[in-house]
Amino acid sequence: MQNQKDSVAIPEGNGDLLVIQDLHTHFFTPDGVVRAIDGVDLRLKKGRTLGLVGESGCGKTVLALSILQLIPDPPGRIVKGRIIFEGTDLLKLDAQAIRDIRGNKISMIFQEPMTSLNPVFTIGDQIAEVVLLHQRHRASTKEQAKGIAVDMLKMVGIPSPDKRINDYPHQLSGGMCQRVMIAMALACRPSLMIADEPTTALDVTTQAQILCLMKDLKDEIDTSILMVTHDLGVVAQSCQEVAVMYTGNIVEYASVEEIFSAPLHPYTKGLMRAIPKVGARQRGEFLQAIAGNVPTLKDMPKGCTFNTRCPEVMDICRSEYPPVFRPKVDHTVRCWRYVN
Amino acid sequence: MEKLLEVRGLKKTFTIRSGIFRKTTGYVNAVDSVDLDVFPDETLGLVGESGCGKTTLAKIILALEKPDAGRVIFDGVDIHEARGQSLTHIRRGIQVIFQDPFGSLNPRKRISSIVTEPMIIHKVGSKSQRYERAVELMNLVGLSPDMLGRYPHEFSGGQRQRICIARALAVNPRLLLCDEPVSALDVSIQAQVINLLVKLQSELSLSYIFISHDLSVVGYISHRIAVMYRGQIVELADSAALFESPLHPYTRCLMDAVPEPVPGKEKGSVRSGWENSGDTPSPHGCSFSSGCPHKEDRCLKEKPSLVEKKPRHWVACHMHQ
Repeated sequence: MQNQKDSVAIPEGNGDLLVIQDLHTHFFTPDGVVRAIDGVDLRLKKGRTLGLVGESGCGKTVLALSILQLIPDPPGRIVKGRIIFEGTDLLKLDAQAIRDIRGNKISMIFQEPMTSLNPVFTIGDQIAEVVLLHQRHRASTKEQAKGIAVDMLKMVGIPSPDKRINDYPHQLSGGMCQRVMIAMALACRPSLMIADEPTTALDVTTQAQILCLMKDLKDEIDTSILMVTHDLGVVAQSCQEVAVMYTGNIVEYASVEEIFSAPLHPYTKGLMRAIPKVGARQRGEFLQAIAGNVPTLKDMPKGCTFNTRCPEVMDICRSEYPPVFRPKVDHTVRCWRYVN
Repeated sequence: MEKLLEVRGLKKTFTIRSGIFRKTTGYVNAVDSVDLDVFPDETLGLVGESGCGKTTLAKIILALEKPDAGRVIFDGVDIHEARGQSLTHIRRGIQVIFQDPFGSLNPRKRISSIVTEPMIIHKVGSKSQRYERAVELMNLVGLSPDMLGRYPHEFSGGQRQRICIARALAVNPRLLLCDEPVSALDVSIQAQVINLLVKLQSELSLSYIFISHDLSVVGYISHRIAVMYRGQIVELADSAALFESPLHPYTRCLMDAVPEPVPGKEKGSVRSGWENSGDTPSPHGCSFSSGCPHKEDRCLKEKPSLVEKKPRHWVACHMHQ
């Protein structure tokens, strides 16, 4: 509907691990088509961490699931676009080829560590399963795979791993479970790890440890991370590039320093201002909230989807969806204010 | 100044039972000798990690759970001794907002009956007066009164939390207990709800007990903050003083762990630092001794008590005694 064709949506660069071009994932519901992902362009360089930020319902998770083609079909379907991973278009592969990549070359960590582990198998079995399934050349027997599981648990900092592999998930704390999930995700040494809100369900102290761990392991295993989160603090601490998502599209993309020091899109600016600061209330300051609510995906305003909440709205915003502008090198934004 | 709520020596222990005979295998001190005061027009923040006893403390203050020892005095009356009329009076004076705005509204009731229900229970006004009050409340929390006829599923998370606030305010409480009221909301919506709470506090002269694990939210809204660890208050101070010069090692751990929205600001101490080992600490010593970087022999043997180290700044740590 509203997407201008734009071939240079994201600055060109070498060493791209993942390139997403003009991706559309729609859900065909009885009430109509929901355009959950509506023309996303994204680029992740090798060895980098890309943060994908946005509020609930903006399509972050759908985007992550689209990469792995885990969208439930029906009702969902990737209707258009290209997802180029290490030079091959994932959308052109058949089911078997995708299965070889999933969990092997691209792995995923989910938000709820407690519910994403199988409660009736030991954590050792669950890590070994990944290796046996994907990397027979590294481990042809169950014992060898268990050996790899012990190494992985040691790597993610679980004490006495040779005993812990016989534990069931309920015997571990939330932080420990997330470490096991990371061990499982990294067992096949993937080139890309997708982390969907990996620390949202954890306490701050545990969160800090998990973020440190992910940072260290990223270098050790030489993997890239796509970090899906709503927490700007987590982004600032762990990412190098940031893509801000709003209603199924990337509205701003830049390096983490740029995003925090000079955000351009009114939505990004609003998000930054809404973070509470200690002592601000005593100085009589109110928080600067973004007015209104996120429009539901079924009921989008005409033109720019942020126009109903935008403090800097102009006439053109109400009629036409903004294409991608590039006011600076390596900084793109979908906002009519940057038309020149 | 006169206290609105006084908590003295509160204790609550849960027994852990396991095996088919439900044999008692251990105890959890969910709330362990807690003393707190809440003054009129004040926000007292309560921070701590999951499992530290925040919610158990809240339940005892709401008289939903009986303490093993200690007293909770609201407006001069012990709430666990109160019966009949005086209990009803207390229940009216303390209202609560829960974390999950999706779980705390009955999906089969219209907003009008949700908001008027507390007034029916406390026998306030006639039917038409109650409806008028509901309209007034909707305006107060920034929702349109036309929405009274709708059902909860028609609202977004932030709007539902506003409805929860309207319901809590229906009977003119003096103390509002907010148990993680904004944790389930997005940043932009979270700011709207916090602003609403701040506005209502000055308009209606309310006191809040604001429970959260998010230090930046608590730091923004609270006048004073109590830090809880394993059932105990380990530090209690004015919000600004606590953030400027935290005294307890656990408070420092917490603050260092918060990811700041400033890129490149590396959190050094976390990397080297503290691991929540999950071991049960020695029952006689400081509950933080297993993870503390400054522990001494004394910490394992003796429990530190909460002392006023600086004016209005209390801490329970042997380093500061």
